[in-house]
Parts: sequence; C-alpha cells; structure tokens
Amino acid sequence: MSKEKIKKMRDIPFERLLASGTAMCAGCGALEALHQIYDILGKNTVFVNAAGCMTLLSVYPFTPFRGSWLYTSMASAPAAAQGIRDALDILIEKKRIKPKDNMQVVVLAGDGSSYGMGLSAASAAIERNLDFIYICYDNEGYGNTGQQYSDATPHAARTSTSKSLTGFQYYKKDIFAIWAAHKPAYAATIIGSDPLDLAKKVEKAKNMKGAKLILALSPCPTGWTFHSNETVKIGKLAVETGIWPLKEYADGKIVHTKIPRERKPVEEYLKIQGRFKHLFEPQRNDKLIAEIQNEVDKYWGHYNH
Amino acid sequence: MYRIRLHGRGGQGIKTAGRILGEALFLEKYEVQDAPRYGAERRGAPIFSYVRAGKKPINERGIILHPGLVVVADETLIEIPAAGVFQGIAENTVFFICSNESSDFWRKRLGIDSQIITLSQSEEYDTALDFHYNSSVCVGAAGRLLGVISKESLKQAIEEELSVFEKTVIEKNIEISLKAYDELSSYEGIVKRGVGISADSYRRLNWVEPPFEGADISAPAIYDSGTSELALTGLWRTLRPVVNKELCALCWHLCGSFCPDSAIYLDEDGAPQIDYEHCKGCLICVMQCPRRAISVEAEHKKTKEAKGA
Repeated sequence: MSKEKIKKMRDIPFERLLASGTAMCAGCGALEALHQIYDILGKNTVFVNAAGCMTLLSVYPFTPFRGSWLYTSMASAPAAAQGIRDALDILIEKKRIKPKDNMQVVVLAGDGSSYGMGLSAASAAIERNLDFIYICYDNEGYGNTGQQYSDATPHAARTSTSKSLTGFQYYKKDIFAIWAAHKPAYAATIIGSDPLDLAKKVEKAKNMKGAKLILALSPCPTGWTFHSNETVKIGKLAVETGIWPLKEYADGKIVHTKIPRERKPVEEYLKIQGRFKHLFEPQRNDKLIAEIQNEVDKYWGHYNH
Repeated sequence: MYRIRLHGRGGQGIKTAGRILGEALFLEKYEVQDAPRYGAERRGAPIFSYVRAGKKPINERGIILHPGLVVVADETLIEIPAAGVFQGIAENTVFFICSNESSDFWRKRLGIDSQIITLSQSEEYDTALDFHYNSSVCVGAAGRLLGVISKESLKQAIEEELSVFEKTVIEKNIEISLKAYDELSSYEGIVKRGVGISADSYRRLNWVEPPFEGADISAPAIYDSGTSELALTGLWRTLRPVVNKELCALCWHLCGSFCPDSAIYLDEDGAPQIDYEHCKGCLICVMQCPRRAISVEAEHKKTKEAKGA
C-alpha cells in the first residue's frame, strides 16, 4: 500500500496552520499555495526563508508559523538548510531530541533566489542529496521591490525594468529541467489554484528522503497587474493554456499530472493581465503573441501531447 | 507656504492625486514639492502624499508634520493609527474627508473643533471593485479649498499627469474633479498659508539609549506561534465578502483552500465563515464559490450598520 493518503478533495486537511495577519498583498498567489502546503507538511516543519516577499511573513514580533523559521540572505537558504538538517541529526543521534520530534527542513524562496542568486547553493545541496524540501514561489519577478525582471520572467512581460513596447526580451529559465538534470529525489510543479494536485505532490515529497523541489507558479496581483480576486482564475488559465505544465519528476522520469485536453490559446491568459496589456493595446502585437504561443506549442509537442 | 497631506490606501491613486495637485500649483507659478510615502508598499495599506507650495524657494524637506490641509480619500483610514491622519494637526488645520457623512457627524465623532469639510464619495464607489475616483474628488476639493488654483490649471494638470491613460479615463477624472471643485465654491481659500519654520526652532531629538541586553532578550527571536493573528489585516478591506449560508453547498471548502490568508474558518455547522478581523478583501472566494454563495458588500456601509449610525 502506498504511503499517500490524499486521493480526493475531501482527504485534504483543513487545518489552517498558517496564521492570518501577514503583510502579504491581498490575493497573493504565493501565500495561497503556501498555506495549503503547510497544512500537508504539518507543524514539525522548519522554514528557511531566503530574502524575498515571504520574508515579510515573519516581522518581529509576529509570525504566522507554528514552529521555527530562519531568515537567510538570497543566495544561501539551501546552505542554511544543510546546517539545520545536520544539527537535527546530531541532536537525534545524541538522544537530545526524540526521533518523533524530528523536523522537515523546508527552504522557502522566491524566483529571484531560486532561478538566479541561490541556484548555486541549491545545486550543491541537491548534489549532497540533502534531505530537504525546496519550495519556490515563482511570481516571475522581484515582486517585493517593485517587480523588476528576474530569470523567471516570461517572454514579452512588462516589468519595471522592461517597460518597452515589447516587454522582456528573453525567455523564462526552465528551472524544473535544471533541477531534474541533477537527478533529485523528487521535483514537481504546482499551483495554488489546483489544491488537489498540490496536496498529492506535497504529500509525496514529504514521504521521501533527499532533495525535493516544489515549484509553485504564484500569480501576483501587484506585480502582474490584475485585480486581487482573479488570482485563482489566472492560475487555472495558466494550466489550461499549457503555459504552466503540472508535472513531476521521480525515478528519472517526468510525468505530467494534468494534461489540458484541449489547450486554450495563450491569449486568454495574457489579455487579462496588465503586464501583457501592451500586446493588445493600443495595437495588437500578433508577432509577440505568436512567439509566446509557439513556445508553448513547442513544449507540448516535445512531450507528444 | 501651503502644506498639504493626503491620505489614502495603496491602489486608490493618492500618489497621483499629490502629483496633480503639485502640478496645478506649479502652473499657478508656485514653487512646489510633491512626494509620496508608501509605507508597506502594497494594495490597501495606508499611503501618504505630501505637497508643499510657496512663492519662495522651499527649504523644508521630508514628511509634513504640521499640515494646513489634510485630505482623506478613504474614511475607513481614520480609525487606523498607522494611517496617522491626525498627526501634528493644529486648530487651524482644515480637514477634507471623502465621505457620505456630514461634517457635523465627523466633528462629533472625532471630538475636534477643526474645520471639517466632506463631499460624498464618487458614485463609482459601489459598483467598481476599486475606488480610484475618490482621489479625483480629493484633487478637485483641495484645489478649491486652497483657493489659488484655477479650473484651467486643474484641468491641465490632470491631463498631463494622466497622459498615459486613455482619453475616456482622463475625461472622467476631469469631470469628477471639477464637480468637486464647483461644489465647494463657498469654501474657496479656506486653507491658510502656514508660517515658515526657521532652523532656530529645531529642537534636538531626545535620544534614548537602550540598555545592552543578552542575546536571549535582545535578539529578535519569537518564542510563540501564530502571533501574526494580532495584526488585524481586516482593516485593509474596502469591500467585504459575505457568506449566504442558505446557498452554501458545504463543498470541500474551496473558498477556504483558495483564501490566501487563512481567513475562512468553519462554524459549528461545518459552514465556512469569514474572519473579518483578518480578511483583506481580495474577494477570491466570491469569484470561486461554485454556488455563488458569497456576495460583496461595501465596507463603509457595514461599518455604519455596526456603529448604529
């Protein structure tokens, strides 16, 4: 029998471990995913937080967590996770804490850290097969400081540092593939707008040893410019258009957990976000829209879907 | 020198209101400073905009502590200490509040003798999910209360500062601003120039040296859990979701899974309820409820009901 217990929505715990009252923006897609993840991971979790939006979760003397949280610089969260893991192992070995009080070490980092500055530390931690979960909340830019572009910014998106009529000229880095190339224990993409898919994957990661990635696309009302009530709608469209493939990597194989039967045109996802408005107004930019569509088609063509 | 402090929430256009006012004063040949202060830098958080204008070069800098005119775009800010609406006010400070309540109501409620002028909020307020247009009401009102800005300058300033928007948006803002400007004609020039503050009056701050403590006391470690609940983020809200229990299908609480702020809990019947102390009013639950059992109500109406006004 498999260790996984979550099969349907009703199996998902309704704990609400992550307390209210944080400083995240109303409608934050990252917080939406995080509180679902925390309910699955449970109280015995230590968060190691690389600098980013989520740093504002714990502003002294307030914390939404039920356990420990450590703040690190942008580039060093996986290294700090190693230190905590080692300390816990030593404490257990010396019988200073009981094995049942062991904790899951979880890195919480944004895309600025995960795709860029902190990548080297993460790569080294995977190589050492550090037993930890790495959660990346990916809002496709440096959201906390005003949405400057990051290595995760998608093609043609307007950010505060790519304001021209064609937006960001480069392409989003495929961090999932970079992780998979390291052959970690597990890697998965999730999104807060699909709680069941999210819960199944987080539960799987929780029950495994070794380095595990949980990569959450996090629609950002402030940085992407849409109304806070559309976070879930945009998340669902990201999946339905094929822009955000829900997939997992384990045992050397990549499996898609949700394949859109008929992919919606990317336009439906783009046109409701202010950061892509320049693709539609004042003149429609068919070339750029086609470039984005082609990228998505190419991806799914590669997987024969 | 005129010292004007504008209060609003992130997303309501207060920074832009300050810029328009500054530009209008500049067109009237004033020396002008205008600067916003974002604080928490997010939607719904209290933000400030400061405008100074004088006929001589302005040597003052920084935030305005002693305003001659305080402009409040969102009346729900008044009860929030962090918004600092009453900071440094004096007897002759004039208040403009964008509110459907009368000035007598506010004078009584706040217990102050200052001149308070109100104008009802823009009619867009109840229908639109945001109320950007309140800041246009504020711009028009402030212009008239200062009494040194002509209609033409106000119009030109709006056109220039909003030039990135579509024509219809600019026209709508001009229309709303000028309406407020016209309605307050009897208060023209009620705001008096403040006196210049000379460097001699600067008093050294009274610094307090904190005692040196051990790491167990002085390090910012938190020993309790879930303390963030002490922060009442419900004050951010301008619109509130309301659950209709009769329509609720008691599905597996999609609303609660999607609510980023863990602000939906289950009551004794297992039905979802909104934690209004913490709900930030993002309204995801309203959009996602499969049965449409959650509706939207304007916060200011609810506040009024609760206070029995």
